[in-house]
Amino acid sequence: MTATPALLELASVSRRLSGRAVLHDVSFSLRRDDVVGLLGVNGAGKSTTLAVIAGVLSPDAGSVRIDGRVLDRTIRGRIGWVPENVPLWPELTVTEALDACVRLRGLPKAARATALARELSRLDLEGVARRLCGQLSLGQKRRVGLAQALLHEPDLLVLDEPGNGLDPMQAAQLRERIGRLARGRGVILSSHDLAEVEALCTRVVILHAGRVRYDAPLAGQCGQLEAQFRAIATQPADAAA
Amino acid sequence: MSALTVARIDLKRLAVRPFAWTLAGIALAMMAWQFLLGVSAFMHAQPIVPGPASGPGFTDTVVAPYLLNFIQLCLVIAPLVTMQALAGTRGTRLALLSTSGASSAQIVLGKFAARLAFLWLLLLVVATVPLVLAGATHPDWGQFGAALIATALCVAALTAIGIACSAFAPEPALAATAALLIGEGLSLIDAGVRMAGGAGGWLGYLALHTHLAPALRGLVRSEDIVYFLIVIVLSLALAVRRITAERERC
Repeated sequence: MTATPALLELASVSRRLSGRAVLHDVSFSLRRDDVVGLLGVNGAGKSTTLAVIAGVLSPDAGSVRIDGRVLDRTIRGRIGWVPENVPLWPELTVTEALDACVRLRGLPKAARATALARELSRLDLEGVARRLCGQLSLGQKRRVGLAQALLHEPDLLVLDEPGNGLDPMQAAQLRERIGRLARGRGVILSSHDLAEVEALCTRVVILHAGRVRYDAPLAGQCGQLEAQFRAIATQPADAAA
Repeated sequence: MSALTVARIDLKRLAVRPFAWTLAGIALAMMAWQFLLGVSAFMHAQPIVPGPASGPGFTDTVVAPYLLNFIQLCLVIAPLVTMQALAGTRGTRLALLSTSGASSAQIVLGKFAARLAFLWLLLLVVATVPLVLAGATHPDWGQFGAALIATALCVAALTAIGIACSAFAPEPALAATAALLIGEGLSLIDAGVRMAGGAGGWLGYLALHTHLAPALRGLVRSEDIVYFLIVIVLSLALAVRRITAERERC
């Protein structure tokens, strides 16, 4: 029996930014239906890791593979990325912004309307479809960002701090949505919120000073995660080397 | 397709911003004033212009200087319209375009096309103003067409320079300042030589004036068209190179 390749596989990825090594030898993988939580203190390299996975940054060394194929421009189309600061055009309405994204993705005309209607409905955006993106609340902006990332039905969803700045109610709704969206695809998200990771993720990867310090399934480890995270996060950066 | 989509997004953004409308309003008001001044000067000069068959006509004395004024106005307007094209979309918004599948060339071309469409629309409105007197005067349509082609190409070159500056500058204000300086530099580079009455040489070839003057007299030369195309292609190529490097580095 041959094992199916992981949906996402990072192998010894390193990346420097502004002359500083931000990621060292980062390796982990993700399978379909997995929700992987990327934890770490500020500056641990979470956002850089996600940007490398999304194809926004290329690794200096190592490789990123999707379904066994090295990440390139074609494969990038199978990824949906929502950065921490959701990039929106404030002068466009929600419908116009999503229509622009679906055109940029190069979907055929018939598929465009379907994709747009599907995401407006899936993320409860019908009520704000005609509102300008610049006038939306943070929670609504996050949902528009998710809709932008989902228009082309990606296999892998990359979410950078999706719950950041949301009130508890909005955060709970977002968690529920992400849980639903994970079915049939892979999700990787970064977070500072251990409770969010425990509630949502099937696996957790802890980064410290640009290195993977912990990578394990989350099932049955509730409560231990915080202790584990504290133990790693309080280590000096050079101890991670 | 992606370049067209980027252009559509940017045109829409320009259309809903008060900044673009204010700029267009001010430009049109200034051009209307310039046109009235030109017509007034033409009316006063009429009785003393000798020989109606060979003397300067309406196109020479009103239309050509009027279009030249528009180009001078564009030295300021083009940097203002282009300054936020790329300098204002750093970071995630540029990344959004990139991850959506648009290449650097498509992003730059789309943004250039949107700004150029806006400025050419302005030129179209400006160019229709002299036509209101077409019935009462005898415009030289050939000269008018040649001047219009040169003006359109010059506006495209200034827009491309603005896009390049926007790609290189981190802040929109810096981009506008750089584009203004380059535009004014190209406009004045051979001013000293011209005032001394000498031939421009290579400085003269670089100057905008050298390539505008023949067209404003009704002469479309291929070397002038090539000059404007070189400026456009070079500026856009530099912008594409910069955006590609930035996407790789950021």
